[in-house]
Amino acid sequence: MLSRFFLTLCRIIICTFFVNTDSIAETTSYTESISAVSGIESSLTLPDPLMMLPFIVLLIMIATGPLLFRHFWEHHYPKIAIFLGMITVLYYLFVINDTGSLFHTLAEYLSFIALLSSLFAASGGILIKVDRKATPMLNVILLLFGGVIANIIGTTGASMLLIRPFIKLNKDRIKPYHIVFFIFIISNIGGALTPIGDPPLFLGFLRGVEFFWVVEHVWYIWLPVILLIVLIFYIIDSRNTIAEDVQRTYSNTIEFKGIRNVIYLLIIVVSVFVDPNIMSWVPDFHPLPFGLREIIMFSMVIIAYRTADKQILKSNEFDFEPIKEVAFLFVGIFATMIPALQLIAYEAKMNGKELTPSVFYWVTGALSAFLDNAPTYLNFLSAEMGKFDLDINNKLEVLKFELEHPVYLTAISVAAVFFGAMTYIGNGPNFMVKSISERAGIKMPTFFGFLFKYAIPVLLPIFVLVWLIFFYGEV
Amino acid sequence: MNSINDAVENKINGLHYGNRLLLPFHAHILKIVIDDNIITDFSNDSKEVEISCKNNFMEIYFLKYKDLMNTVSEFENIKMILVEEGKDIFNPETHEKIALYLEDAHKVRIEKITEDILFIE
Repeated sequence: MLSRFFLTLCRIIICTFFVNTDSIAETTSYTESISAVSGIESSLTLPDPLMMLPFIVLLIMIATGPLLFRHFWEHHYPKIAIFLGMITVLYYLFVINDTGSLFHTLAEYLSFIALLSSLFAASGGILIKVDRKATPMLNVILLLFGGVIANIIGTTGASMLLIRPFIKLNKDRIKPYHIVFFIFIISNIGGALTPIGDPPLFLGFLRGVEFFWVVEHVWYIWLPVILLIVLIFYIIDSRNTIAEDVQRTYSNTIEFKGIRNVIYLLIIVVSVFVDPNIMSWVPDFHPLPFGLREIIMFSMVIIAYRTADKQILKSNEFDFEPIKEVAFLFVGIFATMIPALQLIAYEAKMNGKELTPSVFYWVTGALSAFLDNAPTYLNFLSAEMGKFDLDINNKLEVLKFELEHPVYLTAISVAAVFFGAMTYIGNGPNFMVKSISERAGIKMPTFFGFLFKYAIPVLLPIFVLVWLIFFYGEV
Repeated sequence: MNSINDAVENKINGLHYGNRLLLPFHAHILKIVIDDNIITDFSNDSKEVEISCKNNFMEIYFLKYKDLMNTVSEFENIKMILVEEGKDIFNPETHEKIALYLEDAHKVRIEKITEDILFIE
């Protein structure tokens, strides 16, 4: 079954490059909702597989740009991302006249960037100083703490809050693996327990998945995975003896500055729930592509920046460049991935009856590593529910689905969050953590270095174990 | 000729014009971090920087940047590890960490890097 689905995926990719796409476009027109995300039931045309090219080009450029043509990429990545995104936008506007998909993607993008930028700005005004001797055990405690609070303030909030103290703590012995494991645990896997933790789970929550369903069904996978990764980190970190001869006195204190920004963080976290689907009093600004939540979050960006202690901003070397980088790259990613997601969702729907939790786990995971995990999660949630003749746009049916087929929902919830740690582009905070680390003088691995030297050797065996223990053989 | 400490303690500013940085001392540079770019190649063939020492100052051209002001924002800085000319470069205690803040009127404020600022040697 797994191989069949991968064959289908390969078919899409092969079609993109080698097949006369006119005939494919003709034969793949269909009249049902292909956008699980939009929930708009209208006649839509499946995009031409060639339209996956801008997305593939963008991915290749993100992967190779900083490596092969660093300065060209640094100067021109906003133009490249927007240019490639515009190809897709113009195609949807003028060739297949599908404004619904564009509108919904824009709304999702604004939500995404509002959350990321507000958490980034608010945490930029907080300074945590841990004046203790760094030890593998202290690092493990900090990583575990970050993994837990990622479920309360989101993986972005936790990453922005803790990356600087983590680097400072280890300043005499820091190596790239410290940052990589930080990305694994705090920027990604840690946030798998609540809808606040990671955006895909939040989108599921908006669709009707109960708030505590995730923690109830994922904790027994989350816990061993986190402990296993932390154990690997501990073994590696225990062999790091760089700082053993460094003579330094420590006050063994933890200093915390910027309490006002903690309040802003809390406002941002609470505003996540300010949604007409959750609170009936919240005004619905439809047809505008944003709501009250996004207005609150963007306001927090301005307020947090304007009212922050300038000395803290200086110490944190606060700059909007990391979030600007994420904003531009992801505008390209969000736009160019529309055809890819629709083609995959179509294939998943067509073959839904034959797909098992194993297939959903691997395909959701593989795509979440390279696409944004939030729409990937929603499309596969739609495909899973379609398999059981349930509609993702009906909250009661979502409730029925989570009760009757929990293993399916667990598979995509776990995969969407966990596999975001596989690449720098798997999740928003990954890039920001990389950027902050480089500004601190830490030479970070390249895109492929991260993937082949760390993610595949460390994470992939663990994800295979998760599959074998929890999803293999499930139907 | 000023020393690095003279420049820091007496608040002697450097200058910046476009991608050119002028510092009021002579030193051997070991590492520069500008933006998220870590520079360690200071050879004559370096594609990143060109360094030369004049009578009473040193100048650095950042070859990949047109205007440093567009790269380094208000709370950011250019970080450097350097060794005063004439001091033992192999003795880590001579390695100075400085942060350069670009200001209006082409001024470059030079500060020693404190514990607060993240900079890994």
